[in-house]
Amino acid sequence: MADIIWAGIFIALLGMALGRGWAGYSRTGPSYAVLARREAAFLEAAAEVLFPPSEGLPLSGAEADLPGYADRYLVVLPVRQRNLLRALFVLFEHATLVWPAAGRGGFRRFSSLSEGQRLDVLRAWESSGLYLRRMVLTALKAVLILGYVGHPRSLGALGLAPWKLESPRVEADYLYPPIGEGRDRLPDRASAPASSPLSPPLSPPLSPPLIPGVDQETS
Amino acid sequence: MSDNPDTGGEVRVFSDYVREARDFTEEADVVVVGSGPSGSVVTYELAKAGHRVILVEEGPPFTPQEFSPDGNISMARTMREGGLRSTTGTLMPVLQAICLGGGSLINSAMCVRPPGFIFDEWSTRFDLERTTRADLDPHFDAVSEFLGIAPTPEDVQGPRNLLFREGCDALGIASEPVDRNVRGCRGSGECYTGCRTRAKQSMDISYIPQAIQLGARVLTSLQVQRVLSEGRKVQGVEGQVVEPFSGRTSHRFKIRARWVVLAAGCMATPVLLQKSGDLANGSGQVGRNLQFHPGSAVAGVFPQALNPIFGGTQSYQSLAFLKEGFKLETMWSAPAALAVRMPGLGDALVKHFGELPRTAVWDAIASTHRSTGSVKSRFRSMNPAIRWRLHPEDMKVMLRSIHVLAQIFFAAGAEKILPGVHGLPDELHSAEEAEVLRDYPIRPGDLVTASSHVFCTTRMHGDASRGVVDEDGLCHGFDNLYIADTGIFPRCPSVNPMLTAMALAHRQAESLGQRI
Repeated sequence: MADIIWAGIFIALLGMALGRGWAGYSRTGPSYAVLARREAAFLEAAAEVLFPPSEGLPLSGAEADLPGYADRYLVVLPVRQRNLLRALFVLFEHATLVWPAAGRGGFRRFSSLSEGQRLDVLRAWESSGLYLRRMVLTALKAVLILGYVGHPRSLGALGLAPWKLESPRVEADYLYPPIGEGRDRLPDRASAPASSPLSPPLSPPLSPPLIPGVDQETS
Repeated sequence: MSDNPDTGGEVRVFSDYVREARDFTEEADVVVVGSGPSGSVVTYELAKAGHRVILVEEGPPFTPQEFSPDGNISMARTMREGGLRSTTGTLMPVLQAICLGGGSLINSAMCVRPPGFIFDEWSTRFDLERTTRADLDPHFDAVSEFLGIAPTPEDVQGPRNLLFREGCDALGIASEPVDRNVRGCRGSGECYTGCRTRAKQSMDISYIPQAIQLGARVLTSLQVQRVLSEGRKVQGVEGQVVEPFSGRTSHRFKIRARWVVLAAGCMATPVLLQKSGDLANGSGQVGRNLQFHPGSAVAGVFPQALNPIFGGTQSYQSLAFLKEGFKLETMWSAPAALAVRMPGLGDALVKHFGELPRTAVWDAIASTHRSTGSVKSRFRSMNPAIRWRLHPEDMKVMLRSIHVLAQIFFAAGAEKILPGVHGLPDELHSAEEAEVLRDYPIRPGDLVTASSHVFCTTRMHGDASRGVVDEDGLCHGFDNLYIADTGIFPRCPSVNPMLTAMALAHRQAESLGQRI
């Protein structure tokens, strides 16, 4: 009889864990190369409260497709680091079991909390006396801020968009094909632009400095 | 196949091994492992002297089309462990490159000669008889001439660098434009994500192409996993082809050479020695004595627009506090990467983003001699386990550097600073308010730090029982195994290490060339 009770408790706990971890997430929306929908839901929920609409920037966190950005980032990470970051997302989503939000339903997963509760949860991480906890929040902020501030519309609005530059050709460009490509992708010397700098130790002609605030094209 | 039919010089990339699809063996007089600043200098100098040299690099060569202005993506592609490597003990991100040219591809091109007293300390504490500043000046000169190292000109400084000078001048603190290995810098401020203007003379576009012209063979995408040895002699290296970014390994290779130069970096070289049967570790010092220059940054918001994307990435500095244990410098990076250090959440955080066009970021690197650690190989991995602990006394030095930076900001006219110290207000609005930094009881963990300057894991020492290499970089107890990277520094050099590493490598190449 005791075995049956323990088995029942185990199954109930397993069911609760599965329900908390997997059930109730939206089944619609974009598909990602790496991110699971539950991870995307967490990132959307975090971005919404981290970057609310403001006058200074043209888009809010909810509009910046940060799950899409995080997915593109995860794709280029080595597998171990990719898994660590995904674990971090899961940690945040369910850390309310250990550090619940104040108010009703504070133990619910992060993405199910109200906006105010989510912000309070993140504030608790930021002001924690535990260095590790603050660093984990910094890691999460780093992923999301790089996607949000680095969004072309954000950078454009701030006047911080990357320069439009055409790289001049140097001797090394005739040696290295694009990564993963063969030598047939090396540029043709005959098509070299006239303004190619000479390779060291000879000095190239000095170019004029960039003019602040103006897109530059090299000749 | 050969990129220079006259000399036999060539570069091989991952697609070459895929096409050949077989294990292979090569031979050379010298094999150099690692194409960072030290390895590239050694390769070039030995090729110039007519020796058959093979330079092996684990990462791929990058072309400008592959540079990404996104900080995350760029780091994931150009840095080891996707740019997410960190220490344990005191948690600190540690940045090491994995690409042809090593750190020179993605550093800010700062070339600083340490003052004489640094080398005097090295000489007296570590029984080094030929490593004074005067001994090394000819080697500094040779490297500087090759790379066109010169002070950053005024026309590409930009407001955020010049404000640092203004602040220093107002306080009577000596400052100077930074010497950099650039030719024709246009002030794009993109050093950290790869110089698209091709002004930065990173190794992949300076020393390495010249070495190939002289007959050097450069084999990229090869991970060296073992140094082959017998008794006092090494016979070469072996390892596997590694796919860029994924890190997947495939065919095996072996390179037989009469001389082996390990220039894989302060983290990878000791791991390689450990994986090779604890090679060159008669002193027990391999992987020990690890030191960093932890960096801490302060952001200052000015009333006027600074157009901060314009200007040299790190173009002004102050060496005035080296004897106190820190160096001050300006910095810039991908704007979104700088935004990561902004405090707060929600509206407060977004408000800081809106201030970015008026924000300058200046930083300090600290000579944390008391904070040491170790590097050990991980099971079934060539990545290191890095243990390091920040000493409380060094923490005080770092706090002092932040206090000085705060003073400079306010002297330059900043309306507020973001000190980035846990437990203090997010913003300080005057020099008086910033006095809170003077005696704040700071603890490790109150400050978010990072470092790309790593030292001492295979330190040089005149006494073979206390160091790994001698003054020429030759491993104690070995006849033909050299180390040429910042691991051989006996102490952290207090300034940006690239030029010193190259000067030491230049001297090593001279010495090795004579022996060959």
